[in-house]
Amino acid sequence: MPSRVWLLCGLALAALVALAAGLFVGGTALSPGDVARALLHPRAGGDAVAIVWSLRAPRVALAATVGAALAVAGFLLQGMLRNPLVDPFLTGVSAGAGAAIAVGVALGIAAPFLPALGFAAGLATALGVAFLARRGTGIDAERLILAGVSLSALFSAIIALALTRLGRNGSEEILAWLAGSLAGRGWSELLWTSPYIVGGLLLAALAVPALNALRLGSGIARAVGVDVARANWLLLSAATLLTAAAVALSGIVGFVGLIVPHLARRIVGSDGRYALGASLLLGVTLVPLADALSRSLFPPSEIPLGVLLAFVGVPTFLYLYLRPAGATRLWGT
Amino acid sequence: MGHLNVAAVRLSIGERTLLENVDLHVVPGRLCAIVGPNGVGKTTLLRCIAGFAEPAAGAILIDGVSVGSMPRAERARAVTLIGSDAESPQGMSVREVVLTGRFARRAWWDWTTGEADHFAADAAIERVALAPLADRSFDTLSSGERQRAWLALALAQDARTILLDEPTSHLDVRHATSVAALLRSLADEGRAVLAALHDLSEAAAIADDVALLGDGRLLAFGPADDVLEPELLERAFGIAFERARVAGAWRVFPRAPIRRNFSH
Repeated sequence: MPSRVWLLCGLALAALVALAAGLFVGGTALSPGDVARALLHPRAGGDAVAIVWSLRAPRVALAATVGAALAVAGFLLQGMLRNPLVDPFLTGVSAGAGAAIAVGVALGIAAPFLPALGFAAGLATALGVAFLARRGTGIDAERLILAGVSLSALFSAIIALALTRLGRNGSEEILAWLAGSLAGRGWSELLWTSPYIVGGLLLAALAVPALNALRLGSGIARAVGVDVARANWLLLSAATLLTAAAVALSGIVGFVGLIVPHLARRIVGSDGRYALGASLLLGVTLVPLADALSRSLFPPSEIPLGVLLAFVGVPTFLYLYLRPAGATRLWGT
Repeated sequence: MGHLNVAAVRLSIGERTLLENVDLHVVPGRLCAIVGPNGVGKTTLLRCIAGFAEPAAGAILIDGVSVGSMPRAERARAVTLIGSDAESPQGMSVREVVLTGRFARRAWWDWTTGEADHFAADAAIERVALAPLADRSFDTLSSGERQRAWLALALAQDARTILLDEPTSHLDVRHATSVAALLRSLADEGRAVLAALHDLSEAAAIADDVALLGDGRLLAFGPADDVLEPELLERAFGIAFERARVAGAWRVFPRAPIRRNFSH
């Protein structure tokens, strides 16, 4: 249906606008002309070029990456588990990463190594959850949810323990991470996480054609020729890679992975191929916008990105789904 | 095409043997009903024939090829199963649901749906008389309409053998009749159709052959009128039956039905 293609084009345009907005907004006042000149002449030197290319551009790129990764991961898991209330942190990735970072801070590991530590721990946790959730050659949805929730509770307890033990020394690092923030991240973090993001998106693209059939239950999916075990492993691997990379970059940025897939299905309908693209574009739009807000509302201090998204996201979610009279359906159009 | 042969099949769940020595064959153009008490293994048998599970022993062949050894896409053209566990997805339109029947027509990672897929889906929707509802959300359909939509999915898939698990359960008599008529016409068009049915009179009316399961084995397999007779049915279900011809078809019913008290 071409109308859905036009909707995707509209979303792409919105994403471009959001990315540009991120470049023009910041703690330091730069005129739009200065920003444009700095963008066009990156080698010209001067303060504007430095601010735009080493502060704002990486922030915007990071925000867009985190938004895309979390939105797509949430979309994949909601489809795989046939549950509209699933978010990407369900697989224990964020709690595992958080616990590792908390322990890392307690042990005095230098800050630049923490994202990689969180990434590795997040992946390890997801592997553990998948191991607990496997049945036969496939993955059981109910077991996955139970294992994810239990391991997350365990690791959250470790984070709480670390916070109470550390007192003031170092707990700020952990709290900033829990609240979700892009402060202090730059091109180098983006560079080493990008293979995992790209890999996750490729796996997602491979898994998407089976997603519509999986929505009809595993019986019908098998009957029409879907390899259900392979599709579930692909979906879970893609979601895990994307979530772990996003968590390493930004800590726990909540609500994107839960809400964006719903908005996407609202806009383009429930066909997985269109809804995946719409989720990705909406993630690329919303998180850079929220990050620009977080930097510019009360300069020079920043509102943590996760906090801001929850402030904006919860009312949006409630408005969309709990309006008194009306369509309270969680899936689709 | 669509010759189904089930030869000396044994079905087990864990250590427990469910069914032994099941031999049946369904040829194109014939509708075979599987009949038997709850829990006898009708669903498990259908799942094995569809290739979801391996039988503990014996062979299941479609056109001479073992279902278990078929590549997935080839199997989807040989056989499909509309189970009673099919979930109705919120927000998907009837056309989107039916289009998923075309999954095996392209590579599993291929995003496109072609002209032929849309044509087949629309023809199938037309065939089950759901054309006016094609763009409706699937979850707004009634049970009878949903069952017809699942049949449309099987038609769009264009499998040579169509298996159905209790396609008329939960349907009122009008919708059950329309679904039963569709099953009959699928067979008349030259497909092999195998359906687990609970309504014995319905089986007697539409099925060419009946496979009667009971007591852990295939009690009888043959023409419907020969199998759906009181003595065999009593062995399967453990209660006495009677049958009578009504308008040319056998009606089968329990001999001692529960009656309300007529004395008032």
